[in-house]
Amino acid sequence: MRTTRSRGPLAPALSALLLVAAALCAAAGTLIAPHALDQNLYTGVVGAGVDGHLLGTDQLGRDILQLSVAGARSALVGPVLVACGSMLLGAWLGMIAGYHGGVLDALVGRYTDLVLALPAVLLAVVVAGLLGGGYWVTVAVLTVLFSPSDVRLVRAAVLEQTTRPYIDSARLLGIRPGRIMIRHILPNIVPTVVANVLLNVAFALVALSSLSYLGLGAPPGAPDWGRQLADGRDLLGDNPLASIVPGVLIILTATAVNLLGDWVFERLDRTVAVR
Amino acid sequence: MTRQILVFLVRRLGMTVLLLLALSLLVYGLMFLAPGDIARNLLGTRNATPQALDQVRAQYHLDKPFLWQYTHWLSHALTGDFGTSIRTGAPVGRMMRERLGLTAAVSGLAFLLSVLAAVPAGVVAALHRGEWLDRALVGWSVVGISAPGFAVGLILLYVFAVGLGWFPVYGTGSGFLDSLWHLVLPAVTLALGLGAFVVKLTRAAVARELDEDYVVFARSRGLGRARVLGIVLRNAAVPVLTSLALMVGYLFGGTLLAEVTFALPGLGALLEQSVLFKDFPVVQALTVVVAVLISLTALLADLAYLTVDPRIRNRMAR
Amino acid sequence: MNAPLLRVRGLRVTGPQGTIVTDVDLSLEHGGTLGVVGESGSGKSLAVKALSGLLPRGLHATGEIELDGEPLDPDGSAPQWRRIRGSRIVTLPQDPFTSLSPLHRCGTQIGWAVADRHRRAQRVAELLAEVGLPAEVARRHPFELSGGMRQRVAIAAALAGDPQLLIADEPTTALDVSTQAEVLDLIARLQRVRRMGVVLITHDLAVARSRADQIMVMYAGRVLERGPGSEVLERPAHPYTARLAACDPPLDVRLASLPAIPGSVPPPHTVGVECSFAARCALTVDACRTTVPRAVEVRPGHLAACLRIGQADPRPPVAEAPEHGGAREGAAPALTVRGLAKRFRGAPHPALDGVDLTVRQGEAVAVVGESGSGKTTLARCIVGLERPDEGTVEIPGLPAGPQRIQIVFQDPYSALNPGLTIGACLREALAVAGRPASDVAGLLALVGLPADHARRRPRALSGGERQRVAIARALAPRPKVLICDESVSALDVSVQAGVLNLLSRLRRELGLSLVFITHDLAVARQVGDRVHVMYRGRVVESGPAHTVLSAPTHPYTRRLLACRPAAR
Repeated sequence: MRTTRSRGPLAPALSALLLVAAALCAAAGTLIAPHALDQNLYTGVVGAGVDGHLLGTDQLGRDILQLSVAGARSALVGPVLVACGSMLLGAWLGMIAGYHGGVLDALVGRYTDLVLALPAVLLAVVVAGLLGGGYWVTVAVLTVLFSPSDVRLVRAAVLEQTTRPYIDSARLLGIRPGRIMIRHILPNIVPTVVANVLLNVAFALVALSSLSYLGLGAPPGAPDWGRQLADGRDLLGDNPLASIVPGVLIILTATAVNLLGDWVFERLDRTVAVR
Repeated sequence: MTRQILVFLVRRLGMTVLLLLALSLLVYGLMFLAPGDIARNLLGTRNATPQALDQVRAQYHLDKPFLWQYTHWLSHALTGDFGTSIRTGAPVGRMMRERLGLTAAVSGLAFLLSVLAAVPAGVVAALHRGEWLDRALVGWSVVGISAPGFAVGLILLYVFAVGLGWFPVYGTGSGFLDSLWHLVLPAVTLALGLGAFVVKLTRAAVARELDEDYVVFARSRGLGRARVLGIVLRNAAVPVLTSLALMVGYLFGGTLLAEVTFALPGLGALLEQSVLFKDFPVVQALTVVVAVLISLTALLADLAYLTVDPRIRNRMAR
Repeated sequence: MNAPLLRVRGLRVTGPQGTIVTDVDLSLEHGGTLGVVGESGSGKSLAVKALSGLLPRGLHATGEIELDGEPLDPDGSAPQWRRIRGSRIVTLPQDPFTSLSPLHRCGTQIGWAVADRHRRAQRVAELLAEVGLPAEVARRHPFELSGGMRQRVAIAAALAGDPQLLIADEPTTALDVSTQAEVLDLIARLQRVRRMGVVLITHDLAVARSRADQIMVMYAGRVLERGPGSEVLERPAHPYTARLAACDPPLDVRLASLPAIPGSVPPPHTVGVECSFAARCALTVDACRTTVPRAVEVRPGHLAACLRIGQADPRPPVAEAPEHGGAREGAAPALTVRGLAKRFRGAPHPALDGVDLTVRQGEAVAVVGESGSGKTTLARCIVGLERPDEGTVEIPGLPAGPQRIQIVFQDPYSALNPGLTIGACLREALAVAGRPASDVAGLLALVGLPADHARRRPRALSGGERQRVAIARALAPRPKVLICDESVSALDVSVQAGVLNLLSRLRRELGLSLVFITHDLAVARQVGDRVHVMYRGRVVESGPAHTVLSAPTHPYTRRLLACRPAAR
């Protein structure tokens, strides 16, 4: 059955294209941009088009275009790890809480309350900052901080599913709880989970680059969009592109992931729709 | 009925207090988890002579058990005494009070801007579902959600301050109007991200209500568009209130980045500097104060539901 | 003679998928009642929504509508509708639980349509009195009222603009039997007093028969028959009307098998140049599949759109069944329930309050009750989905396990996992019972479904077919006892009859014992050897079906029975 959709497939197609390009840069960054980290303190910062630097250079004389290409890796790898890791943690805790209820549910509930009591970015700044920072520490901290929303999501979905008559029927037929979980409940919450993982990739990208911007994520000198913005903040007069380009890249990538997430959710939700 | 509501409030308050206690314990504990010797960390950039280290250990009671230290810190914190900053040596309470005004002004302005623009925008989008106006608003809100505050801030800075010269680049200005002028760009930066969430949630809430039977029934009785919209808005109020309460938490995360980007000496910038310097007393104090403020907002939101929705009152009374 | 109150010619509703309602003609006199009868998917609701200019987004109406001689624009967005709606035409929605704004007081909601601000309070009190509610209801919120009271508030709100025409869309479907009659009586009284025209949409032929002077029968978006109420139902000219009337289970006798219509209602946009009923009709000839039958006058004022008018239905009339489906007095009990009690936290009275129930082998026991009677809790306690506070459930001769007892639920849409094919669903049920996957085809045949349905997903099945699959799944472990919790009440009458026949065949062939839970007395009469009547968690009366339902002793049973003819 075809119905007219509010958003055509153009937006998700463009988003997918953009993400594939970003993924290519992340995977083969050293091939596409071999001179990303070459410094030239002699030239220092120059504007767009000077000396063959299409987008100019930063204060260390690094080429903005190549640096931005190389930055795709830390912009994708960390957020994807955060989103998947937090969903694994969230799905595990959420299923336990939703299916077993009781004390376990209460414990998991308090855990989510505690972590959600402060905005993730703020808590990440504090924890990552005090623990000494670094990209991977920050990724780990964000994974933990992102998990409560996944826990709540999965728990609510599981609770909603377990009251369905077909779950009652499966129980009465003598099907084991583990099998009911995997075969009857899990597939029906996949759309929610997939969409939320994608949305979390976007949020994690924003959060991680924010931390890098504050100097708590990627180490100094590493190719990272958030870092580039922080370094380029003082160069607005000399080469505005040093901060505008990575800024636009972050916004574009996060928007693409969000659009794709919404689209995937609509599609999957329709295939598993009850009616 | 009032008695049950009172019981609910007491329980809700109790939960909040427990939550805050747990949180403060964790934040306080972070000091001990941080790599390196605590006494050295607490010394900061000062010379780590044995005498200085001993003095710090005595000052922070590091020889006492952890829980004793925590209760000692907490009992002082409850009276507003958060100790002294390692970085500046000034009392933490006074440092926070000096910077509170600026942060409150920026976030208040941002909150106002986003509510005034985003709630109507969400309602309009819901009313024109599927039309170009809706798609434009929804598209804009997706971009707004995806754009980190510092990136938007830098772009706004470049376009409106550096390029067009309409707004000052840095600083706070002097005098009321000039100060306000300096706060416009940071507030707009914050409001864009904040407003995007509010648009999305308001649209969803209003759209859900528009699909309800009572809307069709109201129209079939010949009620005018304005009247019907009024009915719908009243019913959509609870989810919209929830989203606004959540936004308060988001504001504190966002203001940190905005203050750093626009070099504003507010609480956010203070937190950034303190975290980078490992100025533990300031970080602990700021985190706990923010958590208290957010918990209080959540509590206020719950109270607001009670006045808006009679069904919630009733459920509680049973 | 004045112009009729409402005259419609060639009304057509189209949506993105095609035409949904085709060529509706009708007329209604001042003060008259038109009953629009049809099963789900007949297009009756949409046709009538077009009459008040309230079609959902994406649907468009064309045709001529005249109200009291004044032509109306079928496009509901025309400015003209602003002064028509409320003051001349008003629609009363089906579900009183969703038709009122949950956050506004009832008085406020009634007062919205009262233009004069100063007289508002007084007018609200008058309207409440008119629908038989105390004035203090004005200060209540809808959630504080019962379903019947809410529907009265909705009626009061609908009448606030003094309309000439009230369109009631299934106004009692969401209500309990005893409330249904009250609400229909109220509408009839208001209609007399106010000389108001009423269009009553219903799926229930009996309701239409007792309340309407004109009846219009719709099927798959088309009008099949139209005429005076008594005429259409007593001497139906269209085979569909005749079959539909026959499907309605009687309360006075038990039939050996209920007449049913095979198949299900096709979606209106899939019906081409053919009679929309051709695929399910016993009288179909080739011409029925190639032409759209035009409405012809059978008798003065009685029209039917059929090529085969006057042809007798070739199927034999149905025989009555013996009152006890065989001698079961001496049979051993298959299920014994003793002293079952259950109270939910926060509930004002217990859901079950000492219920005893015995089902002998091969016997069917019907449990009848209104919402809140505890009948569903009883079902869930018997199968073990709910733990009773007190009492025992015994199934002699079998160890605990799925072979003892299975259940079929009410809603066919949530009964099956939407992600699994029918085959996968049945294979899984067979596997836990230790039966081979090759039994799937046999299981499907047992419930009257073709084997190729195994490859389909629930989405591709009609409600009746899904319910059959649910029964097949429940039969996979070869249970001795089957509980049916309102298993046919979400189905259309013609489909319901088929599922009831299936259940009685299964009882005969498999020696199954049945506990059939229902709110419908006539269904209970057809299914049950014995009937238990439940009220507020207790069994207030029980005995052989024909005795309980023809000579009831308990006042509650009497009231239930008394309400039924009134609704009919």
